[in-house]
Amino acid sequence: MKSLDNRNPFVLALCYGAVIGIAMFSFHPLLLLLACLGSLVNEGILCRTIRLRSLGGMLLLFLMMALLNPIFSHNGTTILFLFNNTPITWEATAYGLTASAMIVTVLLWFSALTVRLTSDKLLYLFGALSPRLALLLSMTLRYLPLFRRQANSVRQTQMALGLYREDTLLDRVRGGLRTFSVMITWALENGITTADSMAARGYGSGKRTSLTRYRLRAADIGLIGLILLLLTPTSLALATDTLHFTFYPTISYAAPTPLGLIAILSYALLAFLPAILEIGERIQWNFLRWNT
Amino acid sequence: MELLTLEHLTFTYPEASAPTVSDVSLTIHRGNFTVICGLTGSGKSTLLRLIKNELRPRGTQSGTIRYRGTPMEELSTAVSASAIGFVMQDPEKQIVTDKVWHELAFGLENLGIPPAVIARRVAETAGYFGIEGWYHKSTDSLSGGQKQLLNLASVMVMDPDILILDEPTAQLDPIAASDFLHTLKKLNRELSLTILLVEHHAEEVIPDCHRLCLLEQGRLTACGAPREVLAALSPDAALWKAMPTAVRLGAMLGWNNPLPLTVREGRECLERYHPNTVRTLPQAVSAPSTHAVLTMQEIGFRYERTAAPVLNGFSLTVYENEILCLLGGNGSGKTTALRIAAGLKAPDGGSVSLFGKPLKHYRNGSLYRNCLSLLPQDVETVFLKNTVREELADAGLSADTLPFDLSPLLDRHPYDLSGGEKQLVALAKVLATKPKILFMDEPTKGLDAQHRDTFLTLLKQLKQQGVTIVLVTHDIDFASQCADRCVLLFDGRIVSEDTPERFFAENRFYTTPAARMTRGYYEQTVTVSQVAALCRLNGRTEGSGC
Repeated sequence: MKSLDNRNPFVLALCYGAVIGIAMFSFHPLLLLLACLGSLVNEGILCRTIRLRSLGGMLLLFLMMALLNPIFSHNGTTILFLFNNTPITWEATAYGLTASAMIVTVLLWFSALTVRLTSDKLLYLFGALSPRLALLLSMTLRYLPLFRRQANSVRQTQMALGLYREDTLLDRVRGGLRTFSVMITWALENGITTADSMAARGYGSGKRTSLTRYRLRAADIGLIGLILLLLTPTSLALATDTLHFTFYPTISYAAPTPLGLIAILSYALLAFLPAILEIGERIQWNFLRWNT
Repeated sequence: MELLTLEHLTFTYPEASAPTVSDVSLTIHRGNFTVICGLTGSGKSTLLRLIKNELRPRGTQSGTIRYRGTPMEELSTAVSASAIGFVMQDPEKQIVTDKVWHELAFGLENLGIPPAVIARRVAETAGYFGIEGWYHKSTDSLSGGQKQLLNLASVMVMDPDILILDEPTAQLDPIAASDFLHTLKKLNRELSLTILLVEHHAEEVIPDCHRLCLLEQGRLTACGAPREVLAALSPDAALWKAMPTAVRLGAMLGWNNPLPLTVREGRECLERYHPNTVRTLPQAVSAPSTHAVLTMQEIGFRYERTAAPVLNGFSLTVYENEILCLLGGNGSGKTTALRIAAGLKAPDGGSVSLFGKPLKHYRNGSLYRNCLSLLPQDVETVFLKNTVREELADAGLSADTLPFDLSPLLDRHPYDLSGGEKQLVALAKVLATKPKILFMDEPTKGLDAQHRDTFLTLLKQLKQQGVTIVLVTHDIDFASQCADRCVLLFDGRIVSEDTPERFFAENRFYTTPAARMTRGYYEQTVTVSQVAALCRLNGRTEGSGC
C-alpha cells in the first residue's frame, strides 16, 4: 500500500523532485534535517524501500564526510581542540555535518525514487515529452537484457568449445573482443527481424498515438496543487534570503520571520507528505476492512 | 468468398539462377484453415512474405496476388498492416517493446487509433488469450510459449481478416507448441478466422485443417483436402517423414479406406486389420557398458539463494559409448544439469566427476580439449566469423575432411543459413575439439524431417567412433529413435530411467504417437517401423474399412 505509487507518476516525480531540489539548494541544517527524517520515516520504516543495510552504508558515508571537513578546513573562530597542532573549529565541523547531511539526504530520496519510478512510470513521463522518445526508451529497455543474455551465452559456448581459454588476462581480453564483435553482427541481424515485425504491424504508416497506463484523476490534480502550494513559501524564502545561514567566520542565521517560519513548516509538510499519505491510506484501508 | 488469390505467382531473388517461388496459384476462402508443408529451402517463407506488402523481399515477381479482388500493390498501408496479420518463427526477436501491455498496444498505436479504443481492444484481446495474469510483466521474463502467444495476440488485437504464420512453433517445446496450435484451431473455429499456416511438423495440425498444400522447390505439388493429398503422396517423397504417424502407418500397411489421420483413427485401423497374437517384437539384447564415464552425485542448484532449487539431489551416471537422452518438461532443469556437467555452472552441492577425475581438477581449459564439448541450444552462439569457410578455418578444419558435405555453404554468412544447416556447421565446429563425450542441448529444435534424419545418422556414426553422447531434448520421436537409455527429469531429480522401448511404452502421455496408438495392444512398440514390423508379423485380417 504505497500510496504515492498508486498516483499518477507526475505526482510522485513532482513531490520527490521538489524535496530534492530544495534540499540541494538551501544548505540549511534544519531543512536538511526535516528532509532526511521524512525520508527515513517513509522509506526506512513505513515502506522499507531502503534496506537497513544500505542505511548503515549511508551512515558510514555521512560520518566520513562530516569528519573530513574539519580536518582539512580550519576556517572559523571557535576552536574545539588541537589535533596534531592544527585547530579543529566548531564552524568547520558544523559545515561538514551540514554538507554531508545534504549529500546523504539527496542520496536517500534519489535511491527511493529509482525504486518507485519503475520503467513504466519513467516511460509515461518521457512519453509526455515525446512519444517517439518513449518508444525508443521502451525498445532499449527490451533490448538490453536480451543483449546481455546473448553475450553471456556466446561467452559460455565459446569456452566450452575449448578454442579460447580464460586463464590469463590477455586471453580474457581477446575472448571479450571476439564476443563483442560477433554481438554487433548479432544485434544487426536481430534488428532485421524486429524491424520486420514492426513494419508488419504498421509502424511508420502514419501518426502514432500512445496508450498509457495512467490517468490524471481529480485527486492527482489536487495533490499537484498541494505540492505547488507547499513549495511556494520555501522557494520564496530561499529567493529572498529570508532563511540565510552562514558558517564562517562564525555561525549566524536570520532571525525568525513569519515567512521564514511558514517556509520551514511547509517544507516539513512537503518532506513528510509521502509518509502522511502512506499512513492515511493505511488507516483508511484498515477502517474500510473493519467496516465490511 | 475468395479472400486471397494468388495467380501464377513466380518470384526470383536478385542474382539467383532459378526462381524461389514458381507458378504458384492458390485461392484462399474466408474461414478456411490452410496448411502448407514444405522442407527447409522449399520457398515457404518467401511465398508467405510476398503476401504481406510490408515484408515483400526484393526481386522480380510475375503473376498477381489479390486481396478481396484488389491487387496487393493498390492496398492502403493501413489496410495491409491490419487486415493481414503475420507471425514469424522466432518468438524472441519479434517482440518490440519491454512490457506485455505495451506490446499489445504497439500495432494499434502505429495506426493512430485513439487511446480509449486501444484500451478496449487490448483489454478484450488480453482476456481472450488469457494474458491478464502477466499483463504488467516485462516481455523479457516470459517463457518461449508465452512470448509466441503474445506475438499472436499483438497481431490479433489489430483485428486481421487473415492470419499468416511462418513456422510459429519451430522454436517451442512440444507442450507449448501444442497449446499454440490449439489456440489457432480455436481462433479458426470460434471466430471463423482465415488462417494460412506453414509448418514442417505437421502431426498435430493436419487432422484439423481444411486444405493441405505441399510445396516442393517453389512449386505447389498438391493442394486439397488433407486425406486426398496424403493418400496420393508417395512414401519416397522428401516430405513423407513429416507426415502424421497414423498416415505413414496407414500407407505402409494399406489402411486406406479411408486413410487414418489421428492416433484414434490409427488405433481403430490397427485393431480392425491386425490381430495381436504376437504382442512384442524380439528385443535385440545388447550388453550395455558398465564403465562409467560421467558421474553426478547429489547435485543441487538454485539461481538465487532464496529461490526454489532447480536441481535437488540430482544423480546421474553416464556409461561409456552410450547415447543418453535427458527428457523432461519446461524448466525442469535439463539444460542446467547439462551446463553443470559441462563445467559451465557451479552446483550448490554434490560432486561431478568425468573419466574418474573430479571436474574441478581439470585446469587451463583441459576439460574442453579432446575431452568434452557442448553443442548449445542456440547454435548461433557458436559462430564468430563472417563466412562458413572462415568459421571452419578458425576451428582448424577443412571442408573436405568432414563427415558431411558443407561445400555449398562455404561462402555464406552463418546467420543466413537455415536451421538445419546452422546445426551442421555448429556441429562441425564442436567436433573439431575431438571430444570423447559430447553434450547436445535440443539439437533437433526447428529442424525439418530431412535434417533430423541426417542428424540421426550422424549421431549413430559418432557413437560407432566411440563418442559418448548426452542429449537434452524435448523431441520424443527423436529420442525414441536414437537413445540407448532415456531418463526423465522431474522436480529437480531423475524419476525414471530405462531403454527407450520400455521407457516410452510405460509412459501414457509423455510418449510417441506410435506408442500411444499401440498401448495395451502391442508391447514396447514406440517407433513407426516397430509397429509396422509387428503388424506384418501378425498378418492381416480383412476388415471392412475403418
